[in-house]
Amino acid sequence: MSALSYKKNDDIESGALDKMTVYQECQRAFAESPINARKCRKLLAKLIHLLTIGETFSEFEATGLFIAVSKLFPHKDPSLRQIVYLAIKELVPLSNNDVIMVTSSITRDVQGSSDLIYKPNAIRALARVIDGSFVQGIERLMKTAIVDRHTSVSSAALVSAYHLLPIAKDTIRRWAAEVQEAVTSQKNFPAVTLPNYAPGPAVLAPYHALSLLYELRAHDRMALIKLIQQFSGASAHLQSPNANVMLIRFIAKAANDGAHRQQLVALLERYLGHKSDMVALEAAKAVLTLRDVSPKEAASAIESLRAFLASPRTIARFAAIRILNRFAMTNPGAVAVCNAEIQPLITDSNRSIATYAITALLKTGNEASVDKLVTQISGFMSDITDEFRIVVIDAVRSLALKFHAKKSTMLQFFGNTLRNDGGSAQYKAAVVAALFDMIRYVPDCRDTALGILCEFIEDCEYTEIVVSVLHTLGQEGPAAANPTVYIRYIYNRIVLENAFIRAAAVSALAKFALVDDTSVKKSVKVLLERSLEDETDEVRDRAVIALKLLESGDQAQAKAYISPESRFSLPILEHKLALYVTGSGADFDTPFDMSSVPLITDQEAREAALKAHRETTEATPVVNGGAGGPTPASAAAATTANLASKSNSHEAAIQRAEKYAAELAAIPDLAAFGTPLKSSLAVALTESETEFVVTAIKHIFPSHVVLQYDVHNTLPDAQLSNVSVVASIEDDSEELVEEFILPVDELGPDSHGTVYVALEKTEDHLAVASFENILKFTLHDINKTTGEVSEDGDEDEYQIENLVLGAGDYLEGGFIGSFDHLWDELANTEAVDTATLSEYKGLEEAVQFLISQLSLTPLESSDEVTSASTHTLKLFGKTLTGEKVIVQIKMAASQRTGVVVQCKARSGDEEVAELVAGFVGSL
Amino acid sequence: MEWFKNIYEWLLSLFWSTELDITLLGLQNAGKTSLLKAICGSDFTPDSIPTVGFAMKRVKVGRVTLKCWDLGGQPRFRSMWERYCRGVNAVVFILDSADPSTFDTAKTELHSLLEKESMEGIPLLVLGNKNDIADAIPVDKVIQTLGLKEITDREVSCYSISVKEANNLSAVLKWLIANRKT
Repeated sequence: MSALSYKKNDDIESGALDKMTVYQECQRAFAESPINARKCRKLLAKLIHLLTIGETFSEFEATGLFIAVSKLFPHKDPSLRQIVYLAIKELVPLSNNDVIMVTSSITRDVQGSSDLIYKPNAIRALARVIDGSFVQGIERLMKTAIVDRHTSVSSAALVSAYHLLPIAKDTIRRWAAEVQEAVTSQKNFPAVTLPNYAPGPAVLAPYHALSLLYELRAHDRMALIKLIQQFSGASAHLQSPNANVMLIRFIAKAANDGAHRQQLVALLERYLGHKSDMVALEAAKAVLTLRDVSPKEAASAIESLRAFLASPRTIARFAAIRILNRFAMTNPGAVAVCNAEIQPLITDSNRSIATYAITALLKTGNEASVDKLVTQISGFMSDITDEFRIVVIDAVRSLALKFHAKKSTMLQFFGNTLRNDGGSAQYKAAVVAALFDMIRYVPDCRDTALGILCEFIEDCEYTEIVVSVLHTLGQEGPAAANPTVYIRYIYNRIVLENAFIRAAAVSALAKFALVDDTSVKKSVKVLLERSLEDETDEVRDRAVIALKLLESGDQAQAKAYISPESRFSLPILEHKLALYVTGSGADFDTPFDMSSVPLITDQEAREAALKAHRETTEATPVVNGGAGGPTPASAAAATTANLASKSNSHEAAIQRAEKYAAELAAIPDLAAFGTPLKSSLAVALTESETEFVVTAIKHIFPSHVVLQYDVHNTLPDAQLSNVSVVASIEDDSEELVEEFILPVDELGPDSHGTVYVALEKTEDHLAVASFENILKFTLHDINKTTGEVSEDGDEDEYQIENLVLGAGDYLEGGFIGSFDHLWDELANTEAVDTATLSEYKGLEEAVQFLISQLSLTPLESSDEVTSASTHTLKLFGKTLTGEKVIVQIKMAASQRTGVVVQCKARSGDEEVAELVAGFVGSL
Repeated sequence: MEWFKNIYEWLLSLFWSTELDITLLGLQNAGKTSLLKAICGSDFTPDSIPTVGFAMKRVKVGRVTLKCWDLGGQPRFRSMWERYCRGVNAVVFILDSADPSTFDTAKTELHSLLEKESMEGIPLLVLGNKNDIADAIPVDKVIQTLGLKEITDREVSCYSISVKEANNLSAVLKWLIANRKT
């Protein structure tokens, strides 16, 4: 909240609007005689404000308020009556017993002349106060109101009916004839309207009526088709654009659901030429978002959107480019025909339109058009503001990673943008980051890109950017064809810049000394020696340590310190340190254990960064509807939110693992097994509403498997004792041998308990099994009146669902840059199996199911299904022992048999590959 | 001089008019809503819809405005009566004097209401309605069946009326205007 608006609201938020003051003032003012309408209106406004900001009243206070408010009923002031109805609607949830008292009074207002200003309010309030048994009593009233000649009355009745549906569907079904009439009838606003209020054409009542009619018929497909035919025909006179938009959505939904698709799509196409913009745009959107839309169907919709791109109306242009942009994500080729129309929009005065135009163009751009596009973008880069330039840079950056062949164009583009004067630090940083990406992910452009960066830091005013460039120079420079070129640039920084940059330059320089060339080594040493006299201690220290390491002659040690290949995982390190610091004082006796923090190699860190970057840039661009376009603040907020959610899920996983580990370690018998390598998510073994709800978690230990059964006794009047789970392995495999069971001694009514079943792995490999589970317990009845637990109980058994210990429990997701590369590398060990997932009709569900079962990471966005009939899912991960697993699953869906999958798994370990393929085959 | 008189009347009403809150109570189908309609001057209609909750009407008698709260008589609304009786000038309790099956309930409901602290001192008018029907009990019987003699802490009156035949209605109005707790 800005300082300005805060001040304005200060009065209302602070002491002036105290809950109890308002309560008492209401009680007093509403009981006055005669009633002061103006004062009461103000009080009611305060009351409604309190209720909407989340203030609640106790049942007693709410009833008191309700009675007080109901005393205002006889007053004739229309504005007071309107606000009374608003207040009643707000009070309904607070005092549900008393609301029924106003039914008669409201009913009288609903019966009154339809010119009453507050009649619609009365209808809406009536729908809120009555319960199912009264709906029949107001049936006639509602029917009359629905066909009222005034749109506000009719709308109110229709919307009220919509809200009454859950409690009185059968009664409302009898109003269908009236509702149908309301769809097409022409209505007016009441003659008596408020001053300064010019009503537009009455478009809402038909819209409401159509929605209600749909709700009444949605369950019956034939009735629905009839409804669509009835109102989509030329003779239907459905004038309201809102109602037409609604109808289009119904048609699209029906078309997606199956039968009659062809006729329905033909209907949609008729709407493409509708005279109202919003109807035509909605029709185009409906066609383009149809499930597996054919190119022919899409073509006409795209054609109509193309016309809108040149529309003088900003909203129409915005809507059209937004729809096209979204369609371009899945079908870039089809949108390419509009490129000529989209290009001028890049310079549109509305930034949101321009942003969509750019992103759409970049998606539709093929390798051939990239040059042209980039030239065009460079042309207007100087005309736009920095925050918008960043969006463009990000878009080009993803393009550069996509089309490796165009690297020279891209490098030139980035070089030019860096060379141009001006621009904020964020903008320059975005360009530099793009160049870093190119160095890392696009082959053969390291030297050129480093050259550009060197030139850039010669004249760059932003310390942070220079530091990051120097770091990259140190990382990549020594591997370049001619490392010595960069040394001069780096040394210039040591001579000319501030302490931060000098320190970074010294570190970068030291890395060049690792190059296998004695002359380079010698000159670097000379340069480093000069920094020994530096005025800042950090710079001196870095130079000293580098020199010492180099002089020691131990190349491996020097490399480990100067240019380490891996570093600690910072989020986990931070988390562990925080735990260490906040833990009990006793912990400080033992030093912090660094070995518990995983090391991440540079390779892994880069892959994770690339993945994060792809996810942020390839997600649907969300642009604010306003003319402002994405501001740096909102973009930054979106990025941090994204990062936060990622680190959150990561943290949540760590925390979950730690929670389980702590729970297991607390049990002496289980603590002996060590720390669990992996704990699965909870699997439900019963329906959630059964008498005993059981969920299971599988913990994998180095040489044991522990099954954790969480049992919830939902019976209010039974106590269980000796609760255990008999988990018998179905196919008598001897890979797992049951070691012991930790039963729950006593489980009271409505309480939770945990049974552990520990199994030992007899062979040192990945044991898979299916467990048949039986819950065993002794049931004691509890006397309802005395609460006594009967001494003798009945032994009982309860069959729960099977639990499968599969390949997925031994796998962990991972990420690599190139699927094909590793796929080819592991070509020697391949296992193949097929399966039919008959319970899945759609590919999306099947893909989600497979990912969750295998707990591997989908690569190359293969978790997004683009076709309805076939799909290839690419997965990667590691076993708990670190063996790489790469899986390709080809899937085909058919209505009759479900989804057929063929799984090819490759791994360094043949057994693992077979296990994974076999596991998919057994699904 | 007609307009002058009008203005005079209006001025008088401005300074001397009074508003009285009256609550109409009674079991369902006793004739509360019909009584209110009759006082307003409408004709009697034999079938009326049961009142859900309450209805409110203003009746002007001379310079006095009666604000009549007509409360629903069905069991689910009876617990709510007391709230609407707080601070009113008079309570009117109506009994269907031709339906003996309701007498016991009516007596219990009336007495339990009058016991409430907030009801202290509010004048009570009991009306035995439907005296046009042959079986209807006379006024002294009404007093007896409802145990009105036991009520001593307030002014209590009892009339036998018929809304349908408009018997005794003027007496009711007169009582309402005369007996006001200020």
